[in-house]
Amino acid sequence: MQRKTVWVVVFAMAASLAMFAGDMKGKVGGVSGNSVVWIEATAGKTYPASDKHIVIDQKGLMFHPHINVIQVGTTVEFLNSDNVAHNVFWSSISGNKKLGHNLGTWPKGEKKPFKFDQPGVAPLLCNVHPEMAAYIIISPTPYFAETDASGNFTISGVPDGSYSVTAWHEGAKQQSKPVTVAGSGNVDFTLTK
Amino acid sequence: MDSRFAKQVASLLVGLGIVVGFVLWQPRRANAIPAFSRQYGTSCTTCHVDFPKLNDFGKAFKDAGFKFPADDETYVKVQPVMLGSPAQKELWPKTVWPGTVPGIPQIGLRMNTFFQALGKSRNNLGFATNPTAPYIPSTDFATGYFSIFTAGNFGSDIAFWVDDDISVAGANANGSLGDGYLKFVNLGRFAKLPKDSLGLRIGQFELDLPFTQARSYNISGYDIYTQPNIGTPQQFVNNNFSMDAAGQGVEVSGGHSYGGYHYSLAVVNQNTSGTNSTGTSNVSPANGVAFGSDSNFKDLYGRLAYRFNLERDKASRNDVQAAGPMGPRDHTSLRLGSYVFYGRSVQRILNTSGTTLLGTDREPFYRVGGDFDFHYRQFNLYGLYMYARDHDVLPVINGTGALTGFVRGTPATFGGGFIQADYLALPWLMTIMRWDAVNSPNDQANGSGQYRATRNRFTPGAQFLIHANIKTSFEYQVQPQYVVLLPGQSRPTIFRGNTAVAALEWVY
Repeated sequence: MQRKTVWVVVFAMAASLAMFAGDMKGKVGGVSGNSVVWIEATAGKTYPASDKHIVIDQKGLMFHPHINVIQVGTTVEFLNSDNVAHNVFWSSISGNKKLGHNLGTWPKGEKKPFKFDQPGVAPLLCNVHPEMAAYIIISPTPYFAETDASGNFTISGVPDGSYSVTAWHEGAKQQSKPVTVAGSGNVDFTLTK
Repeated sequence: MDSRFAKQVASLLVGLGIVVGFVLWQPRRANAIPAFSRQYGTSCTTCHVDFPKLNDFGKAFKDAGFKFPADDETYVKVQPVMLGSPAQKELWPKTVWPGTVPGIPQIGLRMNTFFQALGKSRNNLGFATNPTAPYIPSTDFATGYFSIFTAGNFGSDIAFWVDDDISVAGANANGSLGDGYLKFVNLGRFAKLPKDSLGLRIGQFELDLPFTQARSYNISGYDIYTQPNIGTPQQFVNNNFSMDAAGQGVEVSGGHSYGGYHYSLAVVNQNTSGTNSTGTSNVSPANGVAFGSDSNFKDLYGRLAYRFNLERDKASRNDVQAAGPMGPRDHTSLRLGSYVFYGRSVQRILNTSGTTLLGTDREPFYRVGGDFDFHYRQFNLYGLYMYARDHDVLPVINGTGALTGFVRGTPATFGGGFIQADYLALPWLMTIMRWDAVNSPNDQANGSGQYRATRNRFTPGAQFLIHANIKTSFEYQVQPQYVVLLPGQSRPTIFRGNTAVAALEWVY
């Protein structure tokens, strides 16, 4: 009798979870390689800013990793592991040049932190090595994912509701689609250059 | 006397050279090495401001033997091929010391093409007075150089460089070798000398000039570098040596070109005929080893310079590049330097019929100069002065036609230099202004046509990078004044043969 009660409780909890939060799955096509997908902020809802720190390295005249997706509020520490001088700058965030910034120069082994508190896409560059590039995608919500090489993605723990979902790929036109999550959701994108 | 006749012919040729030169610009070699871009996966602008002009990092890269100044292996995207495992070093001398070759052939190619426009007076010195002279049209297109160049490092701090013009002016295989040398970098480590204080370069190379002519980014060269020293008919000086000539020999050098001291000492073949011995058929004849150059004497060249990096921050001052608030950049700096070349001009003295060698005249000569190079952010001002002096050793020939001795005559001299200002208005746009001046009373006396003893040339210009490896350049050359008596006129005409030249160049 007791065992039956436990199973009922577990089933009820699982059912309630499935009802209020689920996975959003999909695929980004039309492009090859990794893309980024995120859920845009919904009017009237607030999302606590992240207090995470991540590191982006400059090594061998390259940024590592090349694509970075973070939530608004995340602090990025830019490390120079090269024995040559580098700098990091971005001329805009999603085209807004007022959000451009230049971090200057710092020597090998040192980090320079920057807190990203505006959503958008920041293309990172180095002003002495123009071939160096990386991207930071700053998601306004904690619901984001980077696709695998085939374009598949899963965003977990998305509360039920209606959202606008955006997909981004380097060099392609950004695309947004409305999606409703009710236990789960699915959305596919076909991006074009 | 044939030697005197030869000198007069040479004087005439030099005069004609100047005459023709004022309308027929000489495009310069300009080498950048896109092979390094491939090897390191980086843009030309890592090393060049406006190719082939080097930035501070490019200078350090060259100083280090075409390697990154530190941790080179971490930047190489195409790994070198090992010519023996590094562990083989422990077996030496019972094995060959291991080295490397670049993982891809370090080859770059360069092509350029030109367009020029000239004013009404363009034929005053040639066609107008000599109907057999080439006619110069008001506008003209010209094919420039198609060149191959290769450079890199064999490991163990041994660097190499070879560049050759495969085709010049559209004609196949009539170019020539530019530089071709092997350089042993940082040899001082064996004697526990400071790093990079001693290197050795062997082969054919441009002298360690304060400002390179062979790899100049200007369309036209520096006039003072190409000036020979030809005496008047009263003198016995016929020296076709010019500072831009490639030398064959050895050079020791040390220091850095991006900060601190730099020196070089070279011993090279004499070349007072103006012809590189490698361009003759004397190299490696079938019947044995015998090379030909102008004389037994070896010329000497030395250079000493010091560059003051003027950054306030000490770490930045001593680093390869300065650390600016907006990112790394070239140092604000001032370089002061001097150089001297010493040689002997050899002339054969023949009898009047040119059939008997009476003797050899060996005339010491020198070129000495000073230079400065100032950088402030995007602005670069540099200049050079050179003084040239050839001793005039006159042969004394008696009434029977025999050489009885030599007497000292009046030395043949000239002087001059240039000042150039570059401003990098945008990363892809550089504006240029240059003043060339050559004071050579002898050229004037020898009938070059120049109106004054000093030839002044003013050259404003601009260069645009279409991509990091494609460039279009423009120069307007305000030429020196010349004087000529045109047919049918009673008064001489004084004029400038100003020239506008545009160039398109690409390397890949």
